[in-house]
Formats: sequence, structure tokens, C-alpha cells
Amino acid sequence: MSNQDIYVPQPATLLKKQPMTEYETFYEFKLDSGCELGHGPGQFLEISVPGIGEAPISISSSPTQAGIFQMVVRRVGNVTTALSKLGPGDKVGVRGPFGTKFPVDEVMKGKDILLVCGGIGLVPVRSAINYILDNRRDYGRLTILYGVKTPADRLFAEELAQWKATPEVTVLETVDRGDEAWDGHVGVITTLLPLVQINPAQTIAVICGPPVMYRFVLKELAKMAMEDESIFVSLERRMKCGVGKCGHCQMNDLYVCQKGPVFKYSEIKEVMEAI
Amino acid sequence: MNKIIKKDQLAAVLDSIAAKYQLIAPVQDESTVLFKPGVAGKDVVLDAVNSTVSPKGAFFPQWETMYIYNTAEADFAIKYPEEGPDRVLFGIRPCDMMALLHIDPVFIGSKFGDYYYETKRNKTTIIGVSCAKVAHTCFCSTFGGSPTGNKGADIMFYDLGDKYAVEVITDKGKAVADLFSKFLVDDTGAPAEVEAKAKELASLLKPVDVTGVKEIMDGAFENPYWKELSRKCLNCGVCTFICPTCHCFDVVDEAYMCDGQRVRCWDTCMAKDFNLAAGGHNTRPTKLEKVRNRFMHKLKYHLDRYNLAGCVGCGRCSQKCPVNLDITQVISDVKAVK
Repeated sequence: MSNQDIYVPQPATLLKKQPMTEYETFYEFKLDSGCELGHGPGQFLEISVPGIGEAPISISSSPTQAGIFQMVVRRVGNVTTALSKLGPGDKVGVRGPFGTKFPVDEVMKGKDILLVCGGIGLVPVRSAINYILDNRRDYGRLTILYGVKTPADRLFAEELAQWKATPEVTVLETVDRGDEAWDGHVGVITTLLPLVQINPAQTIAVICGPPVMYRFVLKELAKMAMEDESIFVSLERRMKCGVGKCGHCQMNDLYVCQKGPVFKYSEIKEVMEAI
Repeated sequence: MNKIIKKDQLAAVLDSIAAKYQLIAPVQDESTVLFKPGVAGKDVVLDAVNSTVSPKGAFFPQWETMYIYNTAEADFAIKYPEEGPDRVLFGIRPCDMMALLHIDPVFIGSKFGDYYYETKRNKTTIIGVSCAKVAHTCFCSTFGGSPTGNKGADIMFYDLGDKYAVEVITDKGKAVADLFSKFLVDDTGAPAEVEAKAKELASLLKPVDVTGVKEIMDGAFENPYWKELSRKCLNCGVCTFICPTCHCFDVVDEAYMCDGQRVRCWDTCMAKDFNLAAGGHNTRPTKLEKVRNRFMHKLKYHLDRYNLAGCVGCGRCSQKCPVNLDITQVISDVKAVK
């Protein structure tokens, strides 16, 4: 019956829950089996709320953090709304991890890392950030660019402050619209790129954010002489099955749940409906 | 092939199969012909050119319980549906058998095999029945098929007017053929009759040449043709539901009190929220993208992914489309786009 397993969730228990913004909530789970999730940064899970349904959610914690896994979920549909009503001790179902990883154990090793995140795009990238910080000697300079609509939309404010205070790590933030308390940068995410100095041959860039962001960031990275092979993007799609069959995330002959969500930009540059 | 069964014996033949296997065969259901399980020999209907809906549902049902669960239990007390009996799928036409071979790689043999489809495939013996006539929408030869093709069959029945020539192809087929061996009659002339019938039917098929269409489509994504073509589409999705190769599905939960079940059901890329992601982004928001994707999937993407055509020329979509969107017309139009 092994093949049935790909569609059958295993139980996990909600340990902690913390509202982060008006719509986004932080969740920490552990698998009831006691096993590790065995994921890589950038992968996603299909989370089931029993009786309601299932939704694809990216994993936000690093695999270096043993025993638990974390997610940040925007309340937007049936499943995510039901999830927001659960409390510590409640059960969910988990399938996965599915999809490709940020290449933290491959081409990112030994390189300077430039992470460009918009909004909840920081959620999966945080897994890579903490993985890199936990294996600090394997990587060069780490630059994190983070843009949100308003200061109230900032996720992981405490961690952003910690990362800022870490040597050899640069964190630059921007908001589309500031408020009275905001004394930082104001403007879209691309306005941060001219502020960073990179050695394009020595840098791997990762982009994750709302769909509209990619085209503009990619254009700026090209101006900075970044090669398409050195840029990785994570794409959001409506993945129902997670195993390359149901068709919802199909773009051309690629299924994002299998060949993605993390793609090398050069692999999908010519793929229509990708970016 | 030099054994035959008289047509007036067919019901008895099918009943001898149904005594041991679950018989899935086409029956009349009001104005439609549908494949149904557990039918009696006398109810089987073969005079339609083909069934209204393809028999893919025998392996990939329109609606299927994946498992049941109880929300009050810590481990959800997941239970799987029973595997079901050994089955014989009788009356499937050559184009639909080819379609199964073309969607097999979606469900079987990849890193993630699909238990539900694969189990039903393994537990089913296929008896194909060649076409007695062809419709004006039939174009199976375009994709290498034929009204008398036996690809994908365990046993093949060739329609010869008042009799069927019978060809037992696989060991699985032989086990079923043994059940009706007493109805088989020698007829050394049958192979020649089958050959003549094959020639006659092939000459009646709509000639549609798909050569080079994929290569044109490789570079035609942004061609204004798609916009023009999609204008009249209603996004009703009938083409995808009756199609023998469409295999997209939705996964949903149904629950009452603590009893829940996870269900998968056919989905259609014509639906407005098919590609809608949580952030509100829709990669195929309008008719243009949806219609283009359907034809691209049939004639290009499936080929790119599995090296198999995504269409088998059954003609159902051309026949049932309420606004006459005709895939054979698309094929010839595409050859003319610049």
C-alpha cells in the first residue's frame, strides 16, 4: 500500500501559535511520529485541517532546528481560516515535504548570498537564512533585502533585528508606504538593490515574493551583471496534489510542485506563464 | 483471430465473464451511453460509435473516496476504501485504449506512483471492441490509431457485422477468454474480413495531418490566433470532462460531524479558479490563457513531458462543444499561423 502514502497525511500537533500581522499567523508543529520532517529550505507541505481540506504551505523553519517545524500562514481561504482557529494541542495532517530546495548544499556553498524577499516571501526564505547562519562558515557574505507594504506587515521583526546585529550579514528593509513611527527606507523593493555592493561572479541570488515583483527584480539583477544561472526564484502556485498529477500548478510541461517551487531562473526564463 | 463469436451469443458471453469478474461495459442511460460497473450482458450497448463520456472513469473515477477518517481520533483513524474486485472492462474502443496508454505515465511509474489508478489498472482485464462505424468527428489515425487497433487490449473483439472475430492478446486476456471458450467458433475467413473492414473504416476517417504542429506551437504562444480562437469559448469545461486523456483533479474534504472523507474528483482547467493562488494571483485568468493552454496541453505539453500525444482523435470535444470549438480545425489553423 506504499503508494497510497503519497496522498495520506500523517498527524502533527500544534505546539505554538502567534499572530504576526492582521492576517498572518506563526505556527509551530511537531510530527506525532517523533520523526524529523526531513525537509530542505524552500520545500513545502500539504497541510490538512481534518474535515475542512488541504492547502500547500511553505516551511519556514530551518532543518537545523530539530524536533519541530514552523510555518507562517496568511488567512485567506477555507483551510487557512480553519487553521487560524486551532489552538496548541490541536491536530493537523501533514503530507510532504514536496518540491525543490534552495540550493544551500550545492551552488550556494562558498558563495555570497543575496536574498530578495517581498511580503510573505520571507517565510520560506527564512528557512534558508537560518540554515546559512547555522552553517555560517560554509557561506560568504549574506545580504537580505526585505520589502513590505507597510511597517505593520513586517514579519519576524525580532529575527530581523538579530540578523542585522550578526557580523557579515546585511539586512536592508523597505516599505511601500511608511507611517509616523517608520524612519527607514520607503519605496519598492527594487530601490534597495542599488544600495548593495555585490560581486556578481561570487554571488547567488534568491527571489521570493508576490508575482509582480519578479520581473522588476530580475531586471535590476541583470543590470548588476548577475547571470541567470546564479539566480533562483520560488514560485507560488495552487498545488493540490503535490506529486505532479492534479494539473493545477502545470506551466508548459513543468509541474511546479515537482520541478519547483524553487527554480534556477535560467531554467524557466523561456517558459511561458512562469514569471 | 480465426475464432469468432456470433453476435446473438454476446450477452451469454458477457454473462459468463460477469459470473467471475465485475463487468464494466457501456449501457444506455437516457440520452447518453456510459460505462458502468456490474452490468448484465443483455444491457450492454455497442451500437453507438463511442460512449458519450470516455471510459477513463473506470480507472480515474469522476468522484472517488481516497480515505475516510475520524476527526475525533488523535491519528484520525484513517481507513482506506476496499480494493474492489477483479474487473473486465468490455467495449472500450481503440482510441480510448490508446488514451489509457497515454495517461498511464501520469499515474504509474514516476517517483510518486498513484495507488488508486494503478490498482484499478492492475485489477482490470481489457476487452476492446473495434469500431463498426466512424463518426464525422473521428480522426484517430492522426495520432497513429485505427478503428480496428488493438493496442492496450488484453482481448480484442473485431466487429464483423453479425459476428466478432476474437483475438486473445495477453495472458491476462487468456484467463478471461477461457471463461467463454465454448462460444468460440472456428472461422478461417475472419482475419481477411478484419483486414477488409480495417481498410474500409480507415478510408472514412477525417484526414487530419498533425505533422509539424507541435513545432509551430513551440513558437506560437503569443500568436494573436489564440485570442481570436478563445473568443467564443464559454469555459463550460465539457471538453475536459468527456476527454479520454484529461486527467486533472481536485482534492477536497467532505465531513459531517466527526466523520470525514478525502475525495478526489475531476477538475477542469476551464474553471475560473483552477490556477488561482492564495495571494490572488491567477496564472491563467481569462479565456485566452485557458483555451490556449488546453490546446497546447493536448498538442504540445503532453508530448514535451511524456513523448506521447495528449489527444487520441476520439472527436468527443468537437462533437459536444456548444460553440463548435473543433480541435481538428485548430490543428489546421495552427499550420497557417505566422
